[in-house]
Amino acid sequence: MAEIVFEHVGKSFGDTKVIENLDLTIEDGKFTVLVGSSGCGKTTLLRMIAGIGPATYGRILMDGKDITHQPPEKRDIAMVFQNYAIYPTMSVRENIEFGLKNKKVPKPERDRRIAEYAEIVGMTPYLDRKPSDLSGGQRQRIALARAMVKKPSVFLMDEPLSNLDAKLRAAMRVELIELQRRLGTTFVYVTHDQIEAMSMADTIVLMEKGEIQQIGCPEEIYHEPANIFSAQFIGTPPMNIMELGEGIRYGVRPESIVMEAQKLDNMALYRKGHIITREMLGAELQFKVRLSDGGTIMVRSPREDLAEDTDVWIMAKARHIHFFGADGIRLGHGGPQGLLDKLGGLNE
Amino acid sequence: MTNVADIEKQALREARRIKHRSWLTSYLMVLPAMAFLIAFVLYPTAAMLIMSLYYGNAKNPFKSWRGLQNYNMRADFWVALRNTAAYTGMALVLVMILSILFAQWMYKARKLNNVAQTLFFTPHLVAGVSAGFIWSWLMSSQPYGLFNTVLQPIYQILNVPSIRWLDSSDTAMFSIVLMNTWKSVGYYCLIIMSAMKSIPTEIYESARLDGSSSIKTFFKITIPMISPQLFFLLITITTGSFKVFDSVRIMTNGGPGDATRVLSMYIYDYAFQRNNTLGYACAAGIIMMLIMVAVTVFDFAFVEKKVHYQ
Ligand SMILES: Nc1ncnc2c1ncn2[C@@H]1O[C@H](COP(=O)(O)OP(=O)(O)OP(=O)(O)O)[C@@H](O)[C@H]1O
Ligand SMILES: [Mg+2]
Repeated sequence: MAEIVFEHVGKSFGDTKVIENLDLTIEDGKFTVLVGSSGCGKTTLLRMIAGIGPATYGRILMDGKDITHQPPEKRDIAMVFQNYAIYPTMSVRENIEFGLKNKKVPKPERDRRIAEYAEIVGMTPYLDRKPSDLSGGQRQRIALARAMVKKPSVFLMDEPLSNLDAKLRAAMRVELIELQRRLGTTFVYVTHDQIEAMSMADTIVLMEKGEIQQIGCPEEIYHEPANIFSAQFIGTPPMNIMELGEGIRYGVRPESIVMEAQKLDNMALYRKGHIITREMLGAELQFKVRLSDGGTIMVRSPREDLAEDTDVWIMAKARHIHFFGADGIRLGHGGPQGLLDKLGGLNE
Repeated sequence: MTNVADIEKQALREARRIKHRSWLTSYLMVLPAMAFLIAFVLYPTAAMLIMSLYYGNAKNPFKSWRGLQNYNMRADFWVALRNTAAYTGMALVLVMILSILFAQWMYKARKLNNVAQTLFFTPHLVAGVSAGFIWSWLMSSQPYGLFNTVLQPIYQILNVPSIRWLDSSDTAMFSIVLMNTWKSVGYYCLIIMSAMKSIPTEIYESARLDGSSSIKTFFKITIPMISPQLFFLLITITTGSFKVFDSVRIMTNGGPGDATRVLSMYIYDYAFQRNNTLGYACAAGIIMMLIMVAVTVFDFAFVEKKVHYQ
C-alpha cells in the first residue's frame, strides 16, 4: 500500500532534459497506467520511483515520506523491466526465488509462493529451465512472476506484455487486473498501447515529451480530452481535427460521425463528402472521406451499404463536437454556444 | 506418382552436390591452419617423441637407441616439476584475483579509469627479457635496489629484516610470480572488463531491487556471467605459466640453489648445456606436455561444467 507523489521533479541526462517540473500523484491501491509515445519518458519516470535512476531535482514521496535519496533495496518496490532483465545464469526457479532469499523468506514459504506465481503466469513446467532456452514471451512471464512473488507495496511494470501473443496478452491483462484488485497494491503500468491503457487503468497518465498532458479515468480521457494531443492519442483512427478560423479548431471522433446518403435532422454539423476508401474491419467499416473544402476525414460506421466513390452527408451531434483554442486546449464539450453558431454558419 | 519420385531423386542429387561442394570449400579453408599445425606442432612433437627414445646431443640426436630408459626421471626432475607447479598455482591465483578486482574497479566509465587501464596494460607490451632485467634491479639487495630502499623505513618501524626478494630461496619464486603478474594482469583484466561491460545494467538494477547486497551480486551475478572468460583465463594462465622460461632465466637462472628451476629451464639445460642428454630432455618435454594435456582435459571435463554459456 503506498501513494507516490512527485514534487517539481526533473530529470536530465547530461544536457538533455527529459523531464522538467513534473508534479504527479499516483494514488494508493490504484491501477495507474502511464501511456505515451516512444521516448516520452515513461521508463525514466518508473526508474525514479524505483530509485535506480535518481531525479536530478525535486522530491519523490512515498506515503508522505521523502524517498528521493533512499536506495532501491529499501523501497519495497518490484519492477518488471522493459527488456525483462532476467538473470541469465539462474534457472527460472532461482530467478523467482532470488528476491525472496534476499528477504530471508523461509524455504517452505518460498516454495509455496514460487509454485503459486509460476502457475499464475503459466510457467510451472519450465521452472528448472535456463532462461536462454525460453522464448521472449516466456522470459517476460518470468519477469512478471519474479516481481509478483515479492508482494511489494508498489508494483512497477514497464510494458510487461509487449512480447506476448494477442490471446496470452488478453489473459495476462485479466490476470493482472484481478491480481491488483485482490492485493490492493499500487500498480504503475507503462504501455504505449492505448487499448491496454483504456482497458486496464483506474487512472491514465498521458505523457508527451516529458510532460503530462492529462490525468484521468479512461472515460474522462475519452470523452473530455484536455487538449488536441490527448484527443488524438486515444482512439483509432485519431480524432478528426478541422479549422474553424481565428485559431479555433474543432474535432469529431471518427466513431461519432453520422454518415448517411440523406440529410438527417437535429445535427450540429452538416458537410458534404465523397467516400474515397472503404475498409471492412468486421463489425464496423472505416471510411476515408473527402470534404467539399478539400480536407479528408476518417469515419467509422456500420453502414455496409455505403460504397466507395459515392456522395454522402457527414453529420455530428453537438455533444460530440469538441472545440480547441489556439494553444490546443479544449474549450468545452459541445462548445460554448457562440462557437456552435459559428460552426452552424459553415454548414452546407 | 513417378513424377514425384523423380523430383525427389533430383532434389536428393542436388543436395548431395551442394554438400560435396561445401565439404571441399570447408577443407580448403582450414588448409592453411592445418599446414601450420602440422609444420610447427605435430612434426616437432613427433620428432621429440622419437628423439626421446635415443641417446645423443643436438648435433647428432640419434647416437644410440635407449628405448624407454630416458623416461626414468632423475631426482632433480621432480624438484623442477614441483617448482613449476608452485609457480603455476601462485600465478593462477594471483593473476585471476587481481584481474577480477581491477576489472571490477575499472569497468565503470570514468576518466581516471582510462588512465589506469593504459597503466595496467603497458607492461604487457614490454618484452619479457627487459621486464626481467628491470625487476631484478628493482628487487636487488644491492644499494640500488629500489624496492628495499623505499621499504627500508617500514622495515625499521616493524623491526623486521629486509626482504631478500630474489636472493632467498623462500621468496625468489614468489618474486618472479610478482613480476609476471605485473606484466600480464593488464591484459587479462581487459578481457574480464569487456565481459563485465557486456552485462546489461538492468540486471544489476534488478538485483538491487531484489535486495541483493553488492557482495552477493558479485558472486551470484557477475562471476557466473563472466565465467566463460574466467575459464579462458584458467586455461591460458595454467598452460602459459607451466611453460614459464624467460623471466626465470633472467632473474634467477634457477637459483638460489634449485629454488626456481622450472621445467622448461630444466629441459633447456639438459638439451643444450650438457653432454649427450638431448634424449632425456625430450623425454622430460614429453612428460611436461602430457601433464599439461591432463590438466587441460581435467579443466574441460570438470571445471567447464560450472561455466555458464549464454
Ligand atoms: N541513459 C540515458 N542517457 C541519455 N538519454 C537517455 C537515457 N535514458 C533515456 N534517455 C532519453 O530520455 C528520453 C526518455 O526515455 P525513456 O526511456 O524514458 O522513454 P520511454 O517513454 O520509456 O520510451 P519507450 O516507449 O520507447 O520505452 C528519450 O529521449 C531517451 O533518449
Ligand atoms: Mg521505455
